[in-house]
Amino acid sequence: MNAMWLKQLGAVIRLEIRKSFFSKRSLWIYLLALAPLGIFGGHALEVKLNRERRVEMSRQTPGVSVEKWRRIEEGATREFVVELLGPPPSSARRGSSRRVRETLRYSDGSSEFFVYLRDGVVTSTNMREGCDFGQDLIIFAGVFQFFFLRVAVFFGCVFVFINLFRGEMLDKSLHYYFLAPVRREIVVLGKYLAGLVATVVVFGTSSALQSMVMNLHYDPAVLEQYLTSGGGWRHAFSYVGVTALACAGYGSVFLASGIVLRNPLIPAVVIEIWESINGLLPSLLRKFSVIYYLKSLCPVDVPVDRSVPPPLALMALNVEPVAPFVAVLGLVAVAGALLLMASFKARRLEINYGSE
Amino acid sequence: MSADTLIVVENVSKFYGEVLGVNRVHLSIEPGITSLVGPNGSGKTTLMNLMTGLLQPTRGTLHVLGISPHDPERFFRMVGYCTQFDSFPKGFTGFDFVYSFLRLFGHDDKESSRLAWASIARTGMEEAARRKIAGYSKGMRQRIKLAQAISHNPRVLVLDEPLNGLDPLVRAETIALFRDFAAEGRHVMISSHVLHEVDIISDQVILMSSGYVVAEGQIKSVREEIEEHPMQILIRTTRPQALAARLFEEEHVVEARIHSDGGGLLVKTTSADRFYLLLNRIAVGELDIEMVAPVDDDVNSVYGYLIGHEEATR
Repeated sequence: MNAMWLKQLGAVIRLEIRKSFFSKRSLWIYLLALAPLGIFGGHALEVKLNRERRVEMSRQTPGVSVEKWRRIEEGATREFVVELLGPPPSSARRGSSRRVRETLRYSDGSSEFFVYLRDGVVTSTNMREGCDFGQDLIIFAGVFQFFFLRVAVFFGCVFVFINLFRGEMLDKSLHYYFLAPVRREIVVLGKYLAGLVATVVVFGTSSALQSMVMNLHYDPAVLEQYLTSGGGWRHAFSYVGVTALACAGYGSVFLASGIVLRNPLIPAVVIEIWESINGLLPSLLRKFSVIYYLKSLCPVDVPVDRSVPPPLALMALNVEPVAPFVAVLGLVAVAGALLLMASFKARRLEINYGSE
Repeated sequence: MSADTLIVVENVSKFYGEVLGVNRVHLSIEPGITSLVGPNGSGKTTLMNLMTGLLQPTRGTLHVLGISPHDPERFFRMVGYCTQFDSFPKGFTGFDFVYSFLRLFGHDDKESSRLAWASIARTGMEEAARRKIAGYSKGMRQRIKLAQAISHNPRVLVLDEPLNGLDPLVRAETIALFRDFAAEGRHVMISSHVLHEVDIISDQVILMSSGYVVAEGQIKSVREEIEEHPMQILIRTTRPQALAARLFEEEHVVEARIHSDGGGLLVKTTSADRFYLLLNRIAVGELDIEMVAPVDDDVNSVYGYLIGHEEATR
């Protein structure tokens, strides 16, 4: 690439970044990117409030422990429970005077114990453990794979990258580029890189903030230990990296779609379906997909067991994981091939706004 | 003239599916102001878009100053095109718009700013340049588009209906700008469906109808070639009857009608050259001629003869 091309590339990127970041239409991309922060912020707040409530409950009944709670069996009386664990710090009653249902709640400061009674007799018990990193990692992986990658980043890229060409055709402003002494390949590459910078900044920042917000409720000492020796930093950087690669992959798909196809909804829907059924596809076809490579790069797998609904299980399933370097190279190859195709198409592209 | 100074269109056709845009166009255009004239839908914009590479010809080739639009890096350093599209990148001020696209030429910040302000000044847009284009009037938008098209000092300026929306004063200034460009030996190619406007501006015209070029060249030359319609010439004289009697002696004079005010004569002749020679002789020795003016050698009349008046004014 010669010096002139680099200058022109810079000029295209400058022009496009301004449009990508500051247009009014970009507002909903920021909302999409911020949505998981709301989820994880809510989660952190709930965990924090629960912990405080449990500590307060355990202060009222200091003798409560898992071992004692396990001694409560079906058929035991309310008096037995109260004698064993103490007066419940929290309880709820409902029903008529003849048939009373009651729930007693205790805590040892970390877990919460429930004792269900009917007419003063224990019918069942339950324990809700306090949140730990293991649980949080799976929650984060689930939200990241099911919502962030497949909805927020996917549709964010649909909007940003399809608009790079198709949006300008609808706005009737693409001809200004085509009347400048710039090779159209440079315009394609410049627009792609500008879209990539915009999406990586928005969604990459969101991903980093999500990791931070998700862990806000932990004690600083525990958090530091997780970050330094528990793989916390590696997880956070991996998620940001996967986000950036998702933007690169989906970006190339939608940039090419915006040049080749007139209706942006069609490629968005088709590709979303294609990505969702990736696990069902034959081995060869599976490789022509962005999510195939991204799943292999995610640092935490979403466990697929009976409790996961079939549609989500299908999406989470990583049938044929590939090595990280293969995944990165595969994504780069897919993006490169699509950009080449987009450049080829752009060279023949006509400005004929009347037919748009 | 060398091909390096001409706009050459060779057997160019453009079809939109089965719809004809332009067909079998051959042109060789010299520097100066050239007007592309024709009613809406005659193929003017299609031809301009083909010349600037925004459309690909279905058949044929185009070269501007010897360069094909397929070589954008050289081509668009010499060509500026002010399109008919009244649209701009969103959120830009007038200056940002001109400046940003100058950066695509590889100029640095300082040079781009200098060139942008120069072209903005040339179109009289300095005061509004820092305001958002979204708040501009139609005339201001037209002028800032023109500023962008001329910002890199192109040798060929292509302008699609450039005077639309301009008030009379700005219109006059803009026409003067086109004349300045042409006086420097550059090409200025203007499309218009306002025929009297074309008469004022053009050195040469290309008349188009339904996708075909029906005539090209200097308007007087084109007029002279329309033999089935004799030239009409108005002569003001104190003795129109005597002049009519004298003119009827010539075989190329096919009609002479005395003006209703009795002070003039409308003559139809099949040879304007012979008529003017004759008139010179008459004016010197026989009759007092106050004024001689051709009546139908303007674009409007020529277009009417070639295409039909209804079509011409559509």
